Amino acid sequence: MRTTTGFPRVTAAAMVGPATVVVVLLLVLPLMLLLRYSLNRFIPGQFMVEALTAENYVKVFADPYYRNVLFLTAGIAALCTLLCLLIAYPAAYLLARTRSRYKSWLILLVVMPLFVGNAVRAAGWIVVFGQRGAFNAALQWLGIVNAPLEIMYTPLAVIVAITGFNLPFMVLTLQSVLEGIDPALEEAALGMGAPPMTAFRKVTLPLSLPGVVAGSMLCFILAMNAYATPVLLGGPRFQMMAPLVYTQISEQANWPLGGALAFVLMIATLLLTVGANTLVQRRYRRRGVL
Amino acid sequence: MKPRKSSLTLTRRRLIQAAAATGVAGMVGPRAAHAAGRCVVGTWGGDYQNLIQKNIVPLMPKDIEVVYDTGNDSPRKTKMLAEKPLPRGTMDISALSRAGSYEMYKAGTLLEIDFGKIPNSKNILEKVRVPYAIPHIYSGRVILYNPKFITEKPTSYNDLWNPKYKSKIGVIDIQYQTTIESAAMIAGGSMSNYEPGKAKLMELKKLDVKVVPTNEAMSQALKTEDIWMCIMWKARGVMWQNAGVPIEIAAPKEGVVLYVSDFTIPKNSPNKESAYAFMDAMLNPKAQEGFIDDMGYNPTVENVELASATAKRVGFTKEEAANLVLQDYDYLAKNDAQLKEWWDKEFKA
Repeated sequence: MRTTTGFPRVTAAAMVGPATVVVVLLLVLPLMLLLRYSLNRFIPGQFMVEALTAENYVKVFADPYYRNVLFLTAGIAALCTLLCLLIAYPAAYLLARTRSRYKSWLILLVVMPLFVGNAVRAAGWIVVFGQRGAFNAALQWLGIVNAPLEIMYTPLAVIVAITGFNLPFMVLTLQSVLEGIDPALEEAALGMGAPPMTAFRKVTLPLSLPGVVAGSMLCFILAMNAYATPVLLGGPRFQMMAPLVYTQISEQANWPLGGALAFVLMIATLLLTVGANTLVQRRYRRRGVL
Repeated sequence: MKPRKSSLTLTRRRLIQAAAATGVAGMVGPRAAHAAGRCVVGTWGGDYQNLIQKNIVPLMPKDIEVVYDTGNDSPRKTKMLAEKPLPRGTMDISALSRAGSYEMYKAGTLLEIDFGKIPNSKNILEKVRVPYAIPHIYSGRVILYNPKFITEKPTSYNDLWNPKYKSKIGVIDIQYQTTIESAAMIAGGSMSNYEPGKAKLMELKKLDVKVVPTNEAMSQALKTEDIWMCIMWKARGVMWQNAGVPIEIAAPKEGVVLYVSDFTIPKNSPNKESAYAFMDAMLNPKAQEGFIDDMGYNPTVENVELASATAKRVGFTKEEAANLVLQDYDYLAKNDAQLKEWWDKEFKA
C-alpha cells in the first residue's frame, strides 16, 4: 500500500519509528516518572515518602518566594527575547539581502559563538564583567567612571549574557525567512511612494512574521530554561527556575518539590509560548497577513 | 534406521542455547572476574581525588583497581538514597561530610563498619570515631581576617557584627548551615537549636553583608580585599595563606566547631572487601601525612608525626583543642531543609 507521498506505509513507519522510540524512552518515560515523584511527600531525613498529594504544587503557587522566581524567570526571558529580536532583525535583514561574496563567511560568524559551550561562554563573561574585568578596565581607562561598576552578580549580567547566547538562534531563524521574501515586493512599495519605514512596516515586517514568531519562541524557551548563565553570573542572590529545580533535586534531595517546580516551569513555558503564538497569528490572520 | 545426529550438527535449539550461553558469559564472566579487584570511590573531584590517587591508592593491594565516581556530596547522597532498594549499588566507598554520613546512616543506606577488618582503625582519634564511618581528615571553623584593616585580632564571632566593618564582611552561600550555626552560637542558640541565629543574621544583613557563591569566590574576594573578614575552615585558611591571600586566623571563644570528612561503605556496595582495603590504606599514617601538607587538614589517627611547617599551622593550641565542638548531626538531618529555605527566602532575599 502506498501513501500519497509515494512511500510505502511500512517505510514511513520505519522512518518515524526510531525517533519515536528515542523520544519515548529518553523524554516521555522520565517525565512520567518525575510527574509521579512530584506527587510524593518530602520528609526531612527520610528522603521521599510515597504519597499522592498536590502539596508541592500548592507550595509553588502559594509561596510568594517560588511565585516570584517564576515571574522573574518569565520576565527575564521575555526581555531577553525582545532584545534579541531588536538586535537580530537588522543583522538578519542585512544577511538576507546582501549580495556580498563574503555572505557565507558572515553566516559562519553568526554561528561561531555556538561552537563554544554555554558554561564556557559564561566563564568568558565573568572575565569581562568582573570588578577588575575588561569592561571596567576599559571604562576607567576612558575616564567614564572612577570606580569599577558592579556588574557581576546582577540581573544585568544575566540579561546581557542570555541575550548574547540566544542571538545567533534569532538571527538565523529571521534570516532564513527574510531570504524567502521577494525583494520586488518591497521595491514595489517604495516605487509607489511609500517611505522606507512604511514599506518595512506594511510589507517586510508582516511577511517576516513567521520568522519573528519562530525565533521568539526559540529564544523564549531557551531563556526560560537557562541554567549556567544565571548560576555563574547572577550570583547567590539571583534566582531563576532552572537553577532552583537543580538545587531542590540535587542539593536538597527534595525530589517531590523539584519535580513540581520542573513541571510548573515546563507548563508555564508551554502556555506562554503557545499563547503568544496564537495571539500574534490571530491578530495578523484577521488582517489577512498570515 | 533413523540417521543419528552428529554432535556437530547445528540444530535450531543448539544455536539458541549457544547464543544464550555466550550472552550470559559475556555479561557475567568478565564482570565477576573483575569484581574482586575493583573499588568504586564516590568522591569530590579536583585536588581531593588527585590526593586520593597520590596518597591512598599506592598503599592498597596491587590487584585492586580504584575507579572514581566524581561529584558533590549532595548528589552523591541522593544517588545513595535512590539506589537503596537495589541489591547492588554503584559505589563501594562514598565520601561524605560527617553530617552527611550521619544522615545516610539514619536513612539506612550505610554498612556498620567491621573495625576488625581495618587494622589501622585502632589509631582513630576517639573524638571523631563513629560506628558508621571512617573519619579521613578534620578541621575546625575559625575566623579569617585581613590584619591590614582589622587591626585588633578577633576573639568572637560577634566581631563580624561590628558596624565598623559594614559591607566588608562576607558569608558563603554554600556554607549556609555553618553560618547560621555560628550566628546561633552568639545569640543564645546551641548545636541543637540554630533558631536564634536567624534574627542575628538579619542584623548582619542590615550591615550590608556580602554573599559570595563558593569558597573559591571567597578566597578571591579576600585577595582583592573586597572582603575583610569571614568564617571558614582553618584548613582552607592555611591553604589560602600559602596561596598569598592576605589573611590571619583567629579561633572564636565560643568554640571551634569540627568539620569531619568521612569515608563510608554503602550497604549494597558490590566489592566490600576492596572497600575495607581502601579504608585501611586511607588510615595509614603515610597516606594521612599527604593530606596535611597538600590540603591543610588534620589527621584522624594518632600515630602521625606532625613534623612539617604546615602541620604545625593546621593544628590547634591546647586551649583551642579543649574547646572543640561537635555538631548535633541529628538536629542537622532534621533541620537542614528548613535552614536552607530560610537562607534562600529571608536572608538572601
